[in-house]
Amino acid sequence: MVERRLTVLALIVLLWGGAILKNLIKLQIVQHQEYAKRARSIQEMVVEIPAPRGSIYDREGRPLAMSLASRNVVINPMKVDVGVASDLLGQLLHLDRSELFIKIKQAAETKRGFLVVKRQISTDEYENLLHLKTRGVEWFSLAHESQRHYPNGTLAAHVLGSVDFEEHGNAGIEKGLEQELRGVPGKIRLLADVHRRGISPQTTIPAKPGVSLTLTIDERLQFVAEREIAAAVESHNAQSGSVVVMRPDTGDILAMASYPTYDPNVPMERGESQKPRMNHAYSVPFEPGSVYKVVTYSAGFETTNLRPETPINCNGGILRLGIRTIHDSHSGTWVVPAMYAFAHSSNIGAIQVGFKVGQPTMYDYMKRFGFGQKTGLPLPGESPGKVYRLEKWGKTSLASVSMGQEVSVTTVQLAQAAAAVANGGMLVKPRLVLKRNDRTESQATPVRILKPETAITMRRMMEDVVLTGTGSRARLAGYSSGGKTGSAQIYDFASKHYTHTYNGSFMGFAPVTNPQVVVVVTLNGTHGESGFGGSSAAPTFKIVTAEALRVGEVPKDLPEKLPTPTLVAKNAADLNDLALSDLERVNEDLLAEADESLVAAAPAPLSALAQGPPVAIVPAPPAPPKPQGPRVPNFRGMTMRAVLAEAAAKGLSVLPDGNGIARLQSPPPGAPLQKGERIRVQFVR
Amino acid sequence: MATLSAFLKKNEAPAASPQGADATRRMRAVRDPFQLRALPHEHLFLYNKRIDNSRLVREADPKSRGACWSAIGAACVLGVLLTSAFAPSVATTIAGYKVEALRIEERRLMEERRGLDLQEAQLLSPARLDLLARQNNLVAPSPGQVSHLEGKPQGAVAMAK
Repeated sequence: MVERRLTVLALIVLLWGGAILKNLIKLQIVQHQEYAKRARSIQEMVVEIPAPRGSIYDREGRPLAMSLASRNVVINPMKVDVGVASDLLGQLLHLDRSELFIKIKQAAETKRGFLVVKRQISTDEYENLLHLKTRGVEWFSLAHESQRHYPNGTLAAHVLGSVDFEEHGNAGIEKGLEQELRGVPGKIRLLADVHRRGISPQTTIPAKPGVSLTLTIDERLQFVAEREIAAAVESHNAQSGSVVVMRPDTGDILAMASYPTYDPNVPMERGESQKPRMNHAYSVPFEPGSVYKVVTYSAGFETTNLRPETPINCNGGILRLGIRTIHDSHSGTWVVPAMYAFAHSSNIGAIQVGFKVGQPTMYDYMKRFGFGQKTGLPLPGESPGKVYRLEKWGKTSLASVSMGQEVSVTTVQLAQAAAAVANGGMLVKPRLVLKRNDRTESQATPVRILKPETAITMRRMMEDVVLTGTGSRARLAGYSSGGKTGSAQIYDFASKHYTHTYNGSFMGFAPVTNPQVVVVVTLNGTHGESGFGGSSAAPTFKIVTAEALRVGEVPKDLPEKLPTPTLVAKNAADLNDLALSDLERVNEDLLAEADESLVAAAPAPLSALAQGPPVAIVPAPPAPPKPQGPRVPNFRGMTMRAVLAEAAAKGLSVLPDGNGIARLQSPPPGAPLQKGERIRVQFVR
Repeated sequence: MATLSAFLKKNEAPAASPQGADATRRMRAVRDPFQLRALPHEHLFLYNKRIDNSRLVREADPKSRGACWSAIGAACVLGVLLTSAFAPSVATTIAGYKVEALRIEERRLMEERRGLDLQEAQLLSPARLDLLARQNNLVAPSPGQVSHLEGKPQGAVAMAK
C-alpha cells in the first residue's frame, strides 16, 4: 500500500518536473530569440546622440551660423480638449490663453493632426511639462530638435543661405555644402532601470557632427559692404546692388554683399517675393558696359602693338557701323593716347582696339578672364553669365563686345577678372571656404592669362582712370588705387529698346603697386547721370576699399591729404562713361530723349544685329591739335615720399622705380606733359 | 514552548478589574504558593515546581567550538566569495549610472556653451556695435590709425593715434 502511494507520488513529481522542464526548454531554447527580444525592449532603451549641424565662422573665427538643441511642445489638436489644452499650456508656457485657444481650435477644424504649440521652450517650462507628464498627462509631447541660428541677422545672408524646418539647407552655402554641414546622429543602447534611467551603454554608434566651416568672409568688411551697398541703392533709387571684395593673390572673397537682403532666421512665408533672397553678386548676370574694356585693352596690349601712348582715333565720338551709329559719351574726342581713351571710357577707342584684336582673339581673352564660365564657388544657382559662341557673333558683335555689350557677367566674375590684372596676370579662382573643421583648404593653382608687363600696364591704365578719368570719385586718401567705371543701359526685352536705367558699376583695386584688395560694386537700375558707375558705384568702392585696407592693415603708399585734383574730373559729364551706342533706326525715340551730354543710345539685340549690312567705318574728320598739358616738375634729389607728395599735389601720375633719392626722370624737368602721360622717376641709394 | 503549568499560571490572573486582581492575590497567599489555579469543574490540582539550575555547568566541548569557528569561517569565505563575485557587477551598475549622468551633464553643458556662444555673437554683432558706436558718437578709425602694441592676437592692446 505504502509502495503504491510512493510510486504515485513519484509519478506526480516526475510529471511536475517534466512540465517544468518542457517549459524551460520552450522558454530558453525554442522561443529564446523572441523572449530575449521582449526582455531587451523592456530593459534596454535606445538613445539618439544628437549630431549638431556644422557651425559657420568668418575668417577670424566669429560665428555666422550655429545650431542649438531646442525643445518644442507638440499636440494633436484633434485629440485634445481645446479649453483644457489652451488653459494648461497657456499657463505653463506663458502664452496668451485666448490666442492659443483660437490657434488650437483652427487647427482642429482644419483637421490638422500636428501643431507646434511653442518652439524653444525654456528649461523651467520643460521641467514643468515633464512633471506634468509623470503625473499621467499624455496628450502633449516634447519634441527635441536642432534649430539654426544666425546671430548677425541679415549679415552675409546671401552667402550663408538658410535652412528649412528640418534643418536642410535651402539656399547659400547651407545648401551648397549641405552634405558636409549636416551631421549624422549616433545611437546608444542603454540598460535602463524601472525609472527609465540609463545604466550602461551596450552598443554605440558614434555621432558624426557636421563639418564646421570657416569662410573667407570677414564679418567687419561684410557689414561695411552691406551697409554701403544698401545706402547706395537707396540713394540712387536703384533696384538692386552687389559688392564683392576679394584678395587678388589668394582669391579669398572677403565680402559678398547683395541688396535687397533678408533675415535667414525668419523662414520664408508662402507667397513671399524671392527677390531679396537672390544673390545679385553671383546669380544675376548683367551687361557690364565699360568695365569690360579692361578685357579689350588687355587683349590689345597682349596681341597687338598697342601701348598706352599709342594714338587712337576716336572719330570725334561718333562711329558708323552699317546701320548702327555708336556715340561716345564725350563728343569731340579725336586722336588721343590709348591711356586717355581708356581713362575717359571712349567707346570708339575701345572698338578701335577691338578691331585690332579681332574676333577670335577677343573671344579667347573673354574665356581666359573666366567670362561665360562658373567660378566654382560652393553656392547654388551660380550664373555663368553669357558669352556667345564665336559662330553666333554678328557683324557688329566685336564692336559691342569691345565696349561691354552682347555679353553678360556677374559681379564675382568681374572681381575675378580685376584680380587677374591686380595679381600680375595670374587668374586665381575665387575661394569662399578657408577651413573645413581645422583643416585649411588648399588654393587652386593660379593660371597665367596675361604677361606680367601687360598686367602692370593695365594697372597703370586703371590708376589713370581714378587719377584723371571717370573714376575720380574712387580716389582714396593715403592709398593709390586703380579701377574702371561702367554704365550700361538696361535692355527692355518687352519693348526691345534700351531703357534709361543703367547698370552702374566700378571695379578696382588698391594699392596700385602691390594690390591687396579688389573691390567690385554694381548697382542695377539706376537713373540719370547720377546713376553712372563713376557717380554711383565709385563712392561705394572708395568707402569699402578704405575699410578693407584698414582691416587688412595695409601700409599707406601716399600722403594722407588728397591733392588738388587738377586733372581730376571737374563736372558730372567727366564721369560719364556710358558704354552704349545707339541704333538710329530702331531707337530714334531714345535718341530724341537723350541728354546732350550723353549722346549714346542702344544697339539692337544680337539677333537683329546679326542680320545687319556689312560693317563700314566712316573715315574720321581731321584731328584737332594736341592739347598742351602741364610742365614736368624737377624731382631730382627728392625722396620718394616727397616726389609722390608733390606729384599728387599737382595731380600728376608718377611711376617710381627703385629706392632712395630721385636721380633720373623721364620726361625731363620742364617738358610739357601730355594728358594721361606718366613721369617715370628712377631712385638710387 | 510553554509548559502546561506556565500556561495555567499565565491565565491565573483575570484581566478584569484591579479589585479582582487584589482578591486573587489574597486568596493565593492563603493557599499553597506553589498551587496553581484549579481548572473549572475539575478536581485536579496542579502545582508549580521550582527548579534551581544555577549550579549546573555546561561541559566543555572543544569539537563543537571548532565546528562553530569553522562555520563562521565558511560563512566569511562565502561572504567574501559572493562579494567578490557580485562586486564588479554592482560597481559596473553604479558606474553606469554615473557615466550616464555625466554624459547627460556633458551634453547639457555643451548646449549651454553653444547658447552662450550664440549670445556672445549676438552681442558682438557688427550691426549692434555700430549702433552703440553711433549712440556714443564714436567713429571708425581711419586706415593706419590703429597700432597694435602686442602683435595682433585677439584681445591684444591697440592704440589709436
